[in-house]
Parts: sequence; structure tokens; C-alpha cells
Amino acid sequence: MTPISKDFAPPLKLVAPFFKTGVIFYLIAMMSLLAFSATFSYQEMAVAGWVHLFLLGFVMVIIFGAMAQLIPVVLEVGHAIVDLYYVILPLLAIGTVMMITGFWLHPALLPYGGLLVLVAMITFAIEAFATLKKAEIKTLTVKTVAVTNAYLLLGILTGFAIALGLNGSLSIDVDTMLKAHVYAVLGGFVLLTIMGLSMTLIPMFSLAHGFDETPVRRGFNLVAIGVGMVFISALIGIETVQWLGYLITLLGVIFYIYQIYIIYKLTVRKEMDIWAKSMLFGFATLLLSLLLGVVYLLGASEPWLHTSVWFFMLGFIGFLINGHLYKIVPFLVWFERFAPLVGKEKVPMLHEMYPKKKAEMMFWYSSGGTILGGLGLFVQNDFLFHAGAGFMTVGAFFLYLSMREMLGYGDK
Amino acid sequence: MCEITKEQVFDAISTVIDPEVGFNLVEMGLIYDAIVEESCNVVVVMTLSTRGCPLHQMIKTWVQEAVEKLDGVGVVEVDVVWEPEWNISMADDNVKEALSGGMPS
Repeated sequence: MTPISKDFAPPLKLVAPFFKTGVIFYLIAMMSLLAFSATFSYQEMAVAGWVHLFLLGFVMVIIFGAMAQLIPVVLEVGHAIVDLYYVILPLLAIGTVMMITGFWLHPALLPYGGLLVLVAMITFAIEAFATLKKAEIKTLTVKTVAVTNAYLLLGILTGFAIALGLNGSLSIDVDTMLKAHVYAVLGGFVLLTIMGLSMTLIPMFSLAHGFDETPVRRGFNLVAIGVGMVFISALIGIETVQWLGYLITLLGVIFYIYQIYIIYKLTVRKEMDIWAKSMLFGFATLLLSLLLGVVYLLGASEPWLHTSVWFFMLGFIGFLINGHLYKIVPFLVWFERFAPLVGKEKVPMLHEMYPKKKAEMMFWYSSGGTILGGLGLFVQNDFLFHAGAGFMTVGAFFLYLSMREMLGYGDK
Repeated sequence: MCEITKEQVFDAISTVIDPEVGFNLVEMGLIYDAIVEESCNVVVVMTLSTRGCPLHQMIKTWVQEAVEKLDGVGVVEVDVVWEPEWNISMADDNVKEALSGGMPS
């Protein structure tokens, strides 16, 4: 018989601002897509600005907020210095705004914004490592926190070097450093974080039990090694290592998808709520993204790569995060406002605490927009791409309204 | 001699609802045993539907408070265990049916 530990969840007032801020950045990111065309180059500063708006403002902010809540639950220890999260959010948010302004309007702001983001992320990484040191259990999610934070540090250091390079303060090959930066952040931090956290969250919400975790463990190791190889090859310029890295990463993602399939087969809850729909759409777009990416690597033209990255970011990452917000936020609000009333008065169930119609609108507009936008990129048609962006903006607006309603539920 | 029965303890715990799924802990099959000692001290052996459940400490407290409402009960202890691991076959049929949405699970 193994006893469990105490509860160490941080307060709602610490975590909620991360989710609010992340959703506002998401809304701005979707709106700003309307200003882009379906044909572009990755070297464009405007594109780099949008990618940072989405990845820093939305993805990182939400992941950090989720980590603030999940790390103590998963590690079964309290945060080492939980109050640091009050500093991390403003640093990250202001740094992101400065970086985006740097990319879009005043390049001189880039290193200053980059510096704030660097400090925010180093603070996050140090706090996470300090908390890890206190933990006694060693699950995949624990390993995730360790490995992803190492990649995060590599990613932000290369990113900061790029910011200095663009500013003229540092003499580096920006293109080479950019590759290393993208792989470390997108593959080493974002993808591995999602892989690790989903192994806690997806079985928890789907009530799947008794499955073997070998595929995801193999997948995690392969992606961690593959991304590392691509990162090193980008710095030292050995193409064979880079291709081997791609192959190993791809194999790792396939193992992960296979693990998700195993969990799906054992899912007890068959209800197609907003979370389940979002997961299905997210994993379907991941498969599509993989397919497009592989064809591109085999020699197809740029639009295949653009569409692959689009479905990976807006489909897979976007829907996995947004779908989970409809589970995590009601829980946080319930925990803060209703848990103390249990046994004393009637309390709502979690599924009653999110606006179902707005959630449905968010899902259908966003999924329709993702497909249309992806199609627009693929056939390089501005009308389709802008139609997709318009749909996604409406979807993001419904997400924003949902977030307001969920956070305000039961607030007196 | 204590007059509290195991059934009474289970009935008391059945007032505790899991807010995520909306069923009580007894019909979810999460309560493995209730040991009523001669002194009327009670030990509840239970599990949770998932390890890392953020509500674990609260659920434990709710179970303890529900049992403490029984007349004449002594000290109530709640042991949360992970062996055997919970699975849906431990739940009542109405829970299985509701969660599967009428589909075969």
C-alpha cells in the first residue's frame, strides 16, 4: 500500500493570469494572421515576429501557467519558490511584446525584449530544477521537466545570440543559429513538454487505465536524442547527423502517436466533449503535419513545409492547449471557490463550469479556420488563407469569451 | 461492541461526489474496504481514479468528514492506496453505461 502526499497546488490568483494573458496573445496572433499572405519566407522578420507572438505569448505563457499548477501535483512536492511565478509572467509578457515590436517595427528593441524573455525562462528553469531536486518519484513527467528545461536553456541562449546577431552586437551565422534555436525550442521544449504532460493529462481526463507506457518512453527518448542531433548538426554543419536526427525524431513521434492510440482504445469516457474533440482534431493534424513534413524532406516544394508547420502549430499545439484549457481552468476555479463548500452546500460539477455553446463555436470556427488556412498555404492562395485566418480569429474570440466566463464562474 | 456496520460507512461515503465525473466514490468503485474496529474507530481503504489527481487530499478529507458524521464513530482514518490499480470494471453498471455514453466500453 503506497500512501499519497499532501496537496501543494498554487493559488488561482497566481495561475489564472497566465491563462488570461496566453489567450489574449492567442487572439492577437490569430487577428494578425490577416495581415500575412499565403506566400512568404522564413527569413522575413514579420514571420519571425508572428512565430514568437504565437510561441512565446501563447504557447510558453500557457505552458508555464500549466506547469505552475501541474509540477507540484505530478512531483508530489511543493514548488521550491512558488512566488517566482509572479515575476515570470510580467517578464515574459513584456519581453514578448518588446520582441514582437522589435521584429515588426524597431529591430533595436529585439535584444532588450530577448533579455527579458531570457531572464523569465532562466527563472522558470531554475525554479523547476530546484523543485525537481525535492522530488522522490521518477515518472515520465518528471523526466520531461528535466529534459525539456535543459532544451529550453539551449533554445533561449541560441535565441538571445540571434537577437544580438541581428542587432549587430555579435558576429554569428544567424541562419545556422536559427536552425538550432528552432529545434531546441519547438522540438526540445514544446514537443517534449506536450508528450510528457499529455501522459498525465490524457489518461486522467479519459479515465484510461492499465496501459503499457513503453511506446511513449521510447518515443520520448528518441525525440530527445533526435532533436539533440539536429541541434548539434545545425551548429557544426554535418548534414548526415542532421538527417539521422530527423529520422530518429520522426520515429519518436510515431511511437508517441502509437501510445496515444493505445490510450484511446482504453478510454472509458466516450463523451465527445470539447476536450475530446480538440484532442482528436489535434492528433489528426499532427498526423497530417508529419505526412506533409516527410514529403517535403523527400524533396517537395516549400508549401509542403509551410503547411506542415501550420498544422503542427495551429492544429496540434493549438488544439491540445485550448482543449485542455476547458478542463484545467474550471478545475482551478472549482478548487479555489467551491471545494471549501463541499458537504456544506450544493456545488457545481466541473463540466457545468464552462460555456458549452461558446466552446463549440471556438472548436468549429478554429478547426474550420485551421483547415482553410492550411489549404490556403498549400495552394498559395491568399483568399483561402485569409478566410482561414478570419475563422480562426472568430474561434479565438470565443476562446477569450469562454476564458472570461470560466474564470468569473462563482466569483462574488 | 460497536454498532456501526460496514454498509453504514459505505452509505456515508456515497454522499461524496467526484466533481469531475459527477458520480459518488462508492459507485465509482473507489472504496476498497471499510474496517470498523470494536472501539468504533474506522479505517477506510480507498483509491483514486488517477495517480496525480490534484484533488487527492481534499477527497481524502471529504471521506473522513462523511464518516465522522456517523453516530458513535471514533477516530476515522483514510488510507489511499494504489494497489490494486482502479479500473472501470470496479465501477457500478450505471457508471460504466453513463461514461461510455451508451457505447460498448
